[in-house]
Amino acid sequence: MSDFKALSEAISKGDINTAVSETRQALDAGTSAQDILDNGLIATMNEVGDRFSSGLIFVPQMLRSAKAMQECTKLLKPYFQEGDVVSKGKVLMGTVRGDLHDIGKNLVSMMMEGAGFTIVDLGVDVPPEHFVEKTKEVKPDIVGMSALLSTTMPAMADTVDALQAAGIRKKVKIMIGGAPVTEKYAQKIGADSYASDAGSAVTRAKELLGIS
Amino acid sequence: MKRSETTTFQPRMKVLNAEQAWAIHRAALEILEKTGFKMEHPGALRMLVDAGAKVTDSDWVKLPVHAVEEAMKSAPRQIDLYDQHGNLAMVLANGNSYYGTGSDATFTLDLETGQRRRTVLKDVANFARLVDALENMSFAMSMANPEDVPVEDIYVYVFAEMVRNTSKPIVFIADRGKDIARIYEIACHVASGEEKLQQKPFLLNYSEAISPLRFPQNVMEKLIFCAEHRIPICLPSGSNAGGGAPVTLAGALAMGIAENLVGLTVHQLAGKGAPFLFGPNVSVLDMKSTIVSYGCPEWSLTQAALADMRDEIYGLPIWAFAGASDAKALDAQAGAEAMFSIITGMLSGANLIHDVGFLEYGNTSSLEMVTMADELVAMSRFFTRGIPVDEATLAVEAIRRVATGGPGSIFLMDDHTFEHFMEAQFLPRLLDRSRYDSWKQAGATDLYQRCNAEARRIISGHKGAAKSAEVLDRIEEIVRAK
Repeated sequence: MSDFKALSEAISKGDINTAVSETRQALDAGTSAQDILDNGLIATMNEVGDRFSSGLIFVPQMLRSAKAMQECTKLLKPYFQEGDVVSKGKVLMGTVRGDLHDIGKNLVSMMMEGAGFTIVDLGVDVPPEHFVEKTKEVKPDIVGMSALLSTTMPAMADTVDALQAAGIRKKVKIMIGGAPVTEKYAQKIGADSYASDAGSAVTRAKELLGIS
Repeated sequence: MKRSETTTFQPRMKVLNAEQAWAIHRAALEILEKTGFKMEHPGALRMLVDAGAKVTDSDWVKLPVHAVEEAMKSAPRQIDLYDQHGNLAMVLANGNSYYGTGSDATFTLDLETGQRRRTVLKDVANFARLVDALENMSFAMSMANPEDVPVEDIYVYVFAEMVRNTSKPIVFIADRGKDIARIYEIACHVASGEEKLQQKPFLLNYSEAISPLRFPQNVMEKLIFCAEHRIPICLPSGSNAGGGAPVTLAGALAMGIAENLVGLTVHQLAGKGAPFLFGPNVSVLDMKSTIVSYGCPEWSLTQAALADMRDEIYGLPIWAFAGASDAKALDAQAGAEAMFSIITGMLSGANLIHDVGFLEYGNTSSLEMVTMADELVAMSRFFTRGIPVDEATLAVEAIRRVATGGPGSIFLMDDHTFEHFMEAQFLPRLLDRSRYDSWKQAGATDLYQRCNAEARRIISGHKGAAKSAEVLDRIEEIVRAK
């Protein structure tokens, strides 16, 4: 196994340029893309994630590290074959019908991307039918829904029902969040999980998929 | 010798100079002229175009300075709010400050058990009753997002419940044109007619654009309805530093003000001269927990800046917050954060100051917190009244009397003290000053316990002015109607 100290440090500091050049150097030196990914990038991001959860670093720093990792991963992509496991899981994200708020959703998406998930973001005001259509098309592991208004929360229940009616409810795990959303509400509408913030969303997503 | 009369200086805090105020304002205008915003209400879009705006991509608008300045000129510099019996209650102008509660809390601290639980309609009633009774609370908001009413009518239920439980002015939330019309209908019945309501409004609508720079259809519907019906309205967006707005406060202010100016412009085009309460909510997105903070010093600073900009540029009464906390319990943090925002809000002369009584960054409402804050507001009022200096207060005669009055002569016994002590001093009720032993004997209570006891006493005992059976029946009909 190679020494990824410099790469790791660059990612931890959010130094995108250095991280990218370290990755390129490692590839040129013949290090396997899988090795770089697992032991250079993912291992570092796990540490960064832990430091964030412990309140030792701030969100902008966490996101910068995630960006550095994403830029490095782009370099590695050509070295992977179709079907190689590069992502922890696929997540379909959207703010529900009638609701236009997206800061929370965007933050969750970025944190999850930083943690190694692949995100397909449907944007805001996403009707249940569109969630269903995209779920069939994208085949995500998790469907994530966000709402900021109590008046738009019912669309979450409608979306769960729509997935059920389309016969694909059991193919995905459903996670919900947003200011007026509660654990109790998630249970009431038959969602699989609730997260109160972006950091917890990453933890919950890993729990849902049984991964670390 | 006759002493010369003095006017009493009222302590006032300033955080911006004129240069800064204008620089922020110009940045706001630049945002509107060069960057633009998304206007999703076709009617509002048309009005803006007629006023000189340019549109690209069907709903991206750029607004010229002259259109904004027209609106700034025509909006009234004073908004009078009345109670539900037609008595003048709040003169929103100059540096007059009024405090009240907040809206839409998902949870509340149960008065009996102390547990944090989901809010229900009864909580709306309790908070309204408490506001009705408290001397230093001037208006009511819902303090609850009740789970036991149909969500599609939630704001109608909540407004009706507030009306049933307080006579004070109400700041209300609505979802869109449909429910705001029903709320307006209820208000007309309470005021005994639409004309009377428009002359002496007891309600003010709170609506929000979405930062950055997005104006949804349902929000504009409400804005236009209020402009047309002369219901006072405010349109703060959540232009929180690091969240919907840039992390540096000047930029967050510029953006929030830009968004507000869009609201003001549409509002004045729909109803020239209709009352508009100015100002964004500029708090911070916490960089660790990603909550929007309700206890941070930044929000107090940005609204103080807004007050200075009001005095220098806008002249319009402003919206503000105070008396809230990010603490999860009514503890020292809650006290510290509440006091910080209450006193600074008053020192900066912010006008309509809401969110008193929020814990947990606005997620949990607390009757104890409102009760405590009432006393903090009283303490602040005492401070900001200043020190009257006149014949009576200089008390030179009393000094002579007591100093030369021989043994046993003390101020405590003097007529002057008897006549003046109740105005001269701040008399706390909940903040405890007793001697250690008597405090111990009385149960060694802390402020939370005393506020809890006081809130219980008020809620169970307060008798507000009841509405007539006829009005109550009409309200019930409107609530139940589909």
